[in-house]
Amino acid sequence: MSASRSARAIWAILRKECRSEWRTRYGLNAALLFALTSLTAVSFAAGRLGDRSDLLAAFLWIVLLFASLASLSHTFVREVEGQTLPMLRRVASPTEIVAGKLLFNLLFLVVIELLTIPLFLLLMAAPAPQWGAFLGVLGLGSLALALASTLIGALIAQTRGRGALFAGVSFPLLLPVLAAAVNGTRAQWQNLPVASELRLLAAYGAALLAVSVLLVDHLWEE
Amino acid sequence: MILRGILLLWIAAGIILAFTWAPLVPVLQETTRVLYFHIPSAWVTVLALGWSMVASVLYLYRRRLEYDDHAGTAAELGLLFCIGATVSGSLWAKAMWGSYWNWDPRETSIFFLLLVYVAYLALRGAIDEPRRRARLAAIYSVAAFVAVPFLMFVVPRLYDTLHPDPIINPRGKVDMDNRIRMVFTGMLLGFTGLFYWMLNLRVRVLRIERRREDQGRPMEVAGA
Repeated sequence: MSASRSARAIWAILRKECRSEWRTRYGLNAALLFALTSLTAVSFAAGRLGDRSDLLAAFLWIVLLFASLASLSHTFVREVEGQTLPMLRRVASPTEIVAGKLLFNLLFLVVIELLTIPLFLLLMAAPAPQWGAFLGVLGLGSLALALASTLIGALIAQTRGRGALFAGVSFPLLLPVLAAAVNGTRAQWQNLPVASELRLLAAYGAALLAVSVLLVDHLWEE
Repeated sequence: MILRGILLLWIAAGIILAFTWAPLVPVLQETTRVLYFHIPSAWVTVLALGWSMVASVLYLYRRRLEYDDHAGTAAELGLLFCIGATVSGSLWAKAMWGSYWNWDPRETSIFFLLLVYVAYLALRGAIDEPRRRARLAAIYSVAAFVAVPFLMFVVPRLYDTLHPDPIINPRGKVDMDNRIRMVFTGMLLGFTGLFYWMLNLRVRVLRIERRREDQGRPMEVAGA
């Protein structure tokens, strides 16, 4: 009974996040603009890179990282700025809140990627990826990205500068994701196996999930 | 007081012996001497990070601000020693490998520690209220600790190390001369003592400051 109640609470938070995001589309617009800006910068600076899969992999993840860092902390900052967090905490447990926000961030990343990646492949004249391996790396990488940025976002929202510190403070946690994801993306373009990168991303995601579960009750004080 | 004097003499003696008494390793020549400063600094960097993590976990479970003093101070000192280790290592790399920075696995790991320290201290600097600062910094500390083993594992596969193990080995493992070992161990102990002394000093200052603040507050209220 309590499990289904939790699931309902998480689902409700996810829907609420989607609705309040859709109302202003502030985060979405910021992220898309950021993606477009960094994509243009990369494209202008490097030109078409069809035969340089190592650079393609690196640029792809830099564009995705920039786009997501622009707004992944937004879910928590919005609550603090609107002073709605105390109300939210009355109706849901910390675990439910974080789980709901995590799902929203994941969904958010998927939307960003759906719009950014085709444009990237087109502009950079990238060769066709091996879809299975490519999507696997992308999916697990996004999961780890969402996990790390949800946890750090909850911390950052309670600091003085709020958004300003987010990129710098979350970067140490994102570095392993970035390294493994770039490696995997490059490997699939070179027709090499990506199994070890997938394992690494999955293990890191699991470790982040475990640490989030352990720490979630300390995120907010009574 | 006496212990402080002993520590001072101990490290001074270590420095003198490092430059005059200890022999040079053939491959490394004059750069051997960085060994007595670089590795102890790197050791204290790791020790300080570990101590900061332990104090953070203790804070989350016991909620006593003394633990946060330890966590924050250990991180500040860790950053100091980390910069020392990075700069001395980079100079040594220039002399031996011909470039200051090459993302060698060792360089990568120390750079990552530097990044964690800076981010942790930046986070602390952005929160005014002591209990909130203690709690959020502790959470970050534990989360960052999870990233460490993964980075150590994934990065060496991104970049080839500049030199294979046998070149690095002579300075630590295989051919360690007895005199080198004595000075090296002495400096390791000396640096550890230095860290302990500085940590203790800073933690005591913080405790006194907090006590004064606690005593000062009722008076201010009465005055207002």
